[in-house]
Amino acid sequence: MTMRKFVLTICGILALYALQTSILPLIAYHGVTADLMLLFVASTAFLRGARIGAFVGFCVGLMEDLASGTFLGMNALSRLLLGYAVGSGSASVFKDQMVLPVFSSIFVTAANYFILAVLMVLLGYRFSLLGHVQYTLLPMLVYQFLFAYPVHRMVCRGDKWLRAKR
Amino acid sequence: MSRYGRERNAKRKTWALLFVIVSLFCIVFFAARGRFQAPVMGRAATLMLAPFQGAISWVGSQVNYVVTSVWDIATVHQQNKMLRSEVEQLRVQNVEAKEFASENQRLRALLGYKQQATQFDLVAARVIARESATWSSMITINRGTSDGIAADMAVVTERGLVGRVSEAGPTSSKVQLILDPRSSVGTLVQRAESRVTGIVEGDPANPTMPDMVNIPKTSDVVEGDVIVTSGFGGVYPKGIVVGIVSAIRNDPGGLLKIAALEPAVDFQKLEDVMVITASREAPPEPLKPPVQTPGTETDPEKEAAEMQAAAQAADEATASAAADVTNAGGASQ
Repeated sequence: MTMRKFVLTICGILALYALQTSILPLIAYHGVTADLMLLFVASTAFLRGARIGAFVGFCVGLMEDLASGTFLGMNALSRLLLGYAVGSGSASVFKDQMVLPVFSSIFVTAANYFILAVLMVLLGYRFSLLGHVQYTLLPMLVYQFLFAYPVHRMVCRGDKWLRAKR
Repeated sequence: MSRYGRERNAKRKTWALLFVIVSLFCIVFFAARGRFQAPVMGRAATLMLAPFQGAISWVGSQVNYVVTSVWDIATVHQQNKMLRSEVEQLRVQNVEAKEFASENQRLRALLGYKQQATQFDLVAARVIARESATWSSMITINRGTSDGIAADMAVVTERGLVGRVSEAGPTSSKVQLILDPRSSVGTLVQRAESRVTGIVEGDPANPTMPDMVNIPKTSDVVEGDVIVTSGFGGVYPKGIVVGIVSAIRNDPGGLLKIAALEPAVDFQKLEDVMVITASREAPPEPLKPPVQTPGTETDPEKEAAEMQAAAQAADEATASAAADVTNAGGASQ
């Protein structure tokens, strides 16, 4: 990867995050909207494997933690785990298909939600899981399903562009 | 790379991954407890993201503005329909409210007149029709013989005389207005110095202003005089205001004068009237005690009671004296 491609990739990730934090709130449902960065990590891990998936997940998650001011390391940890898991699972499937990554986004989102929920419980926070699932997770799953295909297409194109010699 | 080398490399990666996970786990907990912070990195991330977020936010606001505008335009027709419908409903309500307010005002005025004119038995009626003939002035009211209405009863409003019932049906009656040329009302000038009598008739040439005719040429009727019914003829009770003299002209015969009257009643806005079903002399005003000189006030009621008691005592004394005389006469016999 050349420096130009590296910088452009970083800029693309930052733009995606800015899109998530600037545009998507306009279509949020009760404050819940799509997690484009999670979809990006899942798609990258699906295409590039566990090692790159975990690394990208860690970097993206850490950037989110630093930029959003949430619990430091929480997103980094969850995305690292999910990137690794998705990358490990994708080793034995056909990479060019579109259906599996789109549907797997639902499971990835649910897993991310429960990892964060467990961390919150371990940190001593108590909440009604059932109500939280109903009002937070379900709308998020709908958003994720809607945005999974475009994000995966974008990641596929980026991956091809990065793999190209020039 | 040999098989041993690959396995060693994989083990190293696994240990590295575990180390990172455990480190992150610790960072999460330490950061949550406030024992670990990364302010510089946070600021750096924010600084790095700020241009992107600013630009995309601007694009987002523009897109939002466009979408909102398009949505407004798309829904403006429906909104317009709804608003038109609402405006129609409000207009109807407004008209009804004004109608009720107007009716309330009229009925209050009528009620006030009814309480004031204690010498009359009045039946309130509503004008339900108005004759549109050129040469006559008639209205129809919603009261008839079943309500005690009969022909030749006077019809008034709180302002003054309207006319008389010319024909009474079971549930409605026709009223001949004083504007009608066939109508004739015995009247007089209310002013105490004048008291000139005359007859008010409708003027076919001027359907809005009746004439007071048969006024002697030497009479002192002047413009502004209030004309009231005289009570002559028995149809119209005495003292009802008919109108005000607005102009005086000489009769073509040369011996009499004619006074054009501005009617007391606005016949163009006639909606509610009252029919006088019976009339009597107005009851006398209750006697009021005279004004007393300060310091010498007396209580008339107390004095009356004392006088009554004194008279009663005198009667009793007279009766006992008479009894004594009778007893003494009996004893002497």
